Amino acid sequence: MRRTIATLTAFAMLSTPTLSAAQSMAEANVKLIEAYDTVKVSTIPDGIYLRTVNDPDDIIWERLPEYRVAMSPAPAVHESVELRVNYDAEVSYLNMTLAKTSERFYVRLRWVDDTRDTATAFDRFRDGVAVQFSLGDDETSYMMGDGPDSAVNIWYWRSGEDAVQNLAAGGPGSTTLLEEQPVSGESQYFDKDGDPNEWTVVMSRPIKAQGAHNVSLDRDVVPMAFALWQGAEKQRDGLKSVSEGWIMLDMASE
Amino acid sequence: MAVKRQLSMVLDLNKCIGCHTCTSACKLQWTNRNGREYMYWNNVETRPGTGYPKNFHEMGGGFDQDGALRLGKEPSAEDYGVPWEYNYEEALMTGTDPWLRPNVKPTWGANWDEDEGEGHYPNSYYFYLPRLCNHCENPACLAACSRNAIYKRQEDGIVLIDQERCRGYRYCVSACPYKKVYFNEEISKSEKCIFCYPRIEKGLPTACAKQCVGRIRWIGYRDDKDGPIHTLVDKYKVALPLYPEMGTKPNVFYVPPLSPPKIDEAGGAMAESRVPLDYLESLFGDGVSAALDTITAERAKKAEGGESELMDTLIGYRHAEMFKLS
Ligand code: SF4
Ligand code: SF4
Repeated sequence: MRRTIATLTAFAMLSTPTLSAAQSMAEANVKLIEAYDTVKVSTIPDGIYLRTVNDPDDIIWERLPEYRVAMSPAPAVHESVELRVNYDAEVSYLNMTLAKTSERFYVRLRWVDDTRDTATAFDRFRDGVAVQFSLGDDETSYMMGDGPDSAVNIWYWRSGEDAVQNLAAGGPGSTTLLEEQPVSGESQYFDKDGDPNEWTVVMSRPIKAQGAHNVSLDRDVVPMAFALWQGAEKQRDGLKSVSEGWIMLDMASE
Repeated sequence: MAVKRQLSMVLDLNKCIGCHTCTSACKLQWTNRNGREYMYWNNVETRPGTGYPKNFHEMGGGFDQDGALRLGKEPSAEDYGVPWEYNYEEALMTGTDPWLRPNVKPTWGANWDEDEGEGHYPNSYYFYLPRLCNHCENPACLAACSRNAIYKRQEDGIVLIDQERCRGYRYCVSACPYKKVYFNEEISKSEKCIFCYPRIEKGLPTACAKQCVGRIRWIGYRDDKDGPIHTLVDKYKVALPLYPEMGTKPNVFYVPPLSPPKIDEAGGAMAESRVPLDYLESLFGDGVSAALDTITAERAKKAEGGESELMDTLIGYRHAEMFKLS
């Protein structure tokens, strides 16, 4: 269903953040959030739809508050990662917009990436991004969970395909593809003249969860964390940058 | 990594004729399809030479003195050689193309430097080095895998990649100092020599060993005191691992090649052998000199009509004695 001018205007009045035409990473109104901060998940009113389920460039996104987290190299948990990790790498930032309708939960991610790496080939690796949810509270280790009883649910997108993998892990090295694959996504690479190039990825899932290890979004607070892979730097596996600690999603806010 | 039993292979480089029948057997059996076209789980390279993939020995991997993994490099498609096909159908059958030609411009491939070797006449030299996964006792590929997708079988020590667990991170590809793990771009997973385990489980030798024209390969369990591996590796110590300094403890062993003496300007024989000892030692380590001495002595015995268990083993009269699979 297409939006009408009337619903769009109504929606614009509903949402508080300033409208900015050009979105750049340095945008002043993108709030920097830190570990264990609470972030409100915006509500997209019923009757407002994205052009496609996960449209990364929909005008709706400009009307919702955007946040960003600092991303730094993940501590190595395996010798193969230790051999390659560069702890002196510059901190990068991952921008995010969080939204829900009465039925779906959305996360839109945006980050600077000079090169579009979409192939898995000899000595070549793809760009990727993942969000991770604690199945429990923030006691679960944000570093991919700790054991089968303290597991996490991971949504993993990698460039070159818009299938988002729905995974579970109970500690590093235990990542497993889940039977249910309810997460969908779409991406767009913006090759910007002058400005740094960017990836934008939207992932979404019905709020109702089916199956074990699929995070319940039907609760007030959901701990969430982020990971980023730069293909040009041969990042894969634990060779990635991550946000620190959990970000606490406030799902109850209207 | 302790396993109950270890299958091993010995190859006698004095007998290899560089026919590549082993490579063809392996390729037909395992790697002529499904993204594996470029792979040679078994290859035969000319030494001295670049090897396969190109200059693999300069790509690092293996372990350092303290047993820590060393960083290695992942070869490029060009290092392996991009495989090509010929238009046989068009050029030879239908006649629609007047030229028989490859579908990609060949610029490099396994054996591009075949039979080049080194030195000048009359002291030029080369020999063949057939290579496969060494099913190492301390596999760097296994140690490098953050997914625990690589395992070593208890019953025979064969090193395999669990295709369900592999996520294509390729730490194994760079960690193997022999570059005997290959990345399959079609399935985004790594693959390697499986020591023909479906054949082994039926009591058959690997395809490369069974088909070997020069009868240079022996297969057996290391702990079989009556078997060929124990005789060649442990009893006479004439079979040595390749690049032992990489720390992976290979279970494929080579009998180093003897060579005639170098010839001086007057045409006389020199004390040095045509294939320099230090070159052989750079491949097979300290044991080369003793191994060559033993073979020379045992050869002489046999030539004089005497008995030599070592020579009888190396001659390889019967397959049944060369392959002891139980
Ligand atoms: S030769 Fe390489 S691939 Fe084979 S077991 Fe040893 S380290 Fe692993
Ligand atoms: S089949 Fe035997 S003789 Fe021929 S190249 Fe292979 S190892 Fe050498």
